[in-house]
Amino acid sequence: MAAKSKSNLASSVFWSLLTFACLALACYAALFVAPEEKTMGVIQRIFYFHVPSFWTAFLAIFTTTYGSVAYIATKKMKWDWIAVSAAELAAAFLTIGLVTGPIWAKPVWGVWWAWDARTTSTFVLWAMYVSYLLLRTLVDEPERRALLSAVVAIFSCIDVPLVYFSIWMYRTQHPQPVIGDGGYLDPRMGKVLLECWGALVALFLLLLRERYRLEKMRSEVDGLRMEVERRGL
Amino acid sequence: MSLARATGLILAKELRIELRSRALLSTTFVFVLLVLVLFSFTFDPTATEARRFGPGLLWLALLFAGSLMLQPTFVREQANDTLSALRMAPIEPFAVLLGKLAANAVYLFLVELILLPIFAGLYNLSILPVLGRLLLVMFLGTVGLATTGTVFSAVTAQARLRELLLPVLLLPILAPVLIGSSEATVGLFSDQPYLDTTWVVFLTAFDVVFLTAAWLFGEYLFEE
Amino acid sequence: MKNLHSVFAAFMAVWAVFFLYQVTVGWRVARLQDEIARLKDRLR
Repeated sequence: MAAKSKSNLASSVFWSLLTFACLALACYAALFVAPEEKTMGVIQRIFYFHVPSFWTAFLAIFTTTYGSVAYIATKKMKWDWIAVSAAELAAAFLTIGLVTGPIWAKPVWGVWWAWDARTTSTFVLWAMYVSYLLLRTLVDEPERRALLSAVVAIFSCIDVPLVYFSIWMYRTQHPQPVIGDGGYLDPRMGKVLLECWGALVALFLLLLRERYRLEKMRSEVDGLRMEVERRGL
Repeated sequence: MSLARATGLILAKELRIELRSRALLSTTFVFVLLVLVLFSFTFDPTATEARRFGPGLLWLALLFAGSLMLQPTFVREQANDTLSALRMAPIEPFAVLLGKLAANAVYLFLVELILLPIFAGLYNLSILPVLGRLLLVMFLGTVGLATTGTVFSAVTAQARLRELLLPVLLLPILAPVLIGSSEATVGLFSDQPYLDTTWVVFLTAFDVVFLTAAWLFGEYLFEE
Repeated sequence: MKNLHSVFAAFMAVWAVFFLYQVTVGWRVARLQDEIARLKDRLR
């Protein structure tokens, strides 16, 4: 048992350091390798983490939905553990997106927030996954919690395209000064963008694994506690 | 027993319970009215502003009312433990869900029907020329609200803090309905009333998608 | 280079999330490991 936890710790440290290195490289690339953008200058470099954090959030949402469907199909708890871990990470990456956006917007366009299509949709998505996490804290029994959150996660995922379409359509009918990020992407910028996304995906996988382990241990503790009670110790 | 017949029986039971006391209908109606009145304090309801903001506020009030009144659907069953009886009945679980969903849609639609003339009066909008199309939009929006609301109330009935949790879960999911219904309604109240087919198709798609999802996954909510 | 502080703020936000999450999960894992050891002892 001691050997196993030691090797777990070792592998965990290894993956942490690897991810740390990826992130550090990505930061370096975003700050120094990528060419300077003409109109916005230095501030544009936030884009290299702002955009991929959304892509990673979608990856997390996909993982949650997959885990939820798998749980309903197989009733194996491990899928529920994957679903909740991914949902927390979806909320985390959406938060990064929602925080870096205003930091970018204020110096460039003078406003912290603009209710444009993308920001509004992201906010709604954020609300959906935060409410999923809230639901989980309000159901005590593990199997019931897994089932209820699975259904909610699936409904939330189905709603995502509907949210995006309706908000986009609304903005098309009520145009506002669009706070877009321009059309043309220099291929060097594209490369850095993908590198940063790679680092965030590595981060996502690392944190997913850690959070999954935490959930698995929680379940083990619950099992042991019940055993203790059963034996009346 | 066929799905249609089982659903019909559940629907009839729900309607009979409610019509006996009418408490849910009257309270929901007063709630929506209050919200509309309070909203009128936040802006000056001149003709153009009323037409721009009125429909959105009506739908917002309906969404709030819906997330409050949908709660009793399942909590009532829990209080009397009739849910176990329903579970043991020789009908498929989806019939229970569909019956309750239909009943909720009927209640909400009734509230809206009574509310429409009052709303039109308060905000100086003319509903008669567009009545048919308006009822279509209201129907589509209501079905969307009732579908997701009934499924989620089955979820929150099994959680703590359910009165607060239901709106928290439901309102983000219903954002598309709020947008679609409000926009379609605004179109109907504009100078040249028109029915925005994009939004009608969108609302229909929302309803179909979530009814299908309820059919696929709803029964798991009734498991022991 | 104007706005450099904003860029750093944004990058710090990403690091902060990473760091906080790692730390909290690691702390909870450590606590649970203790709990598991304790419970297993009781059962022996």
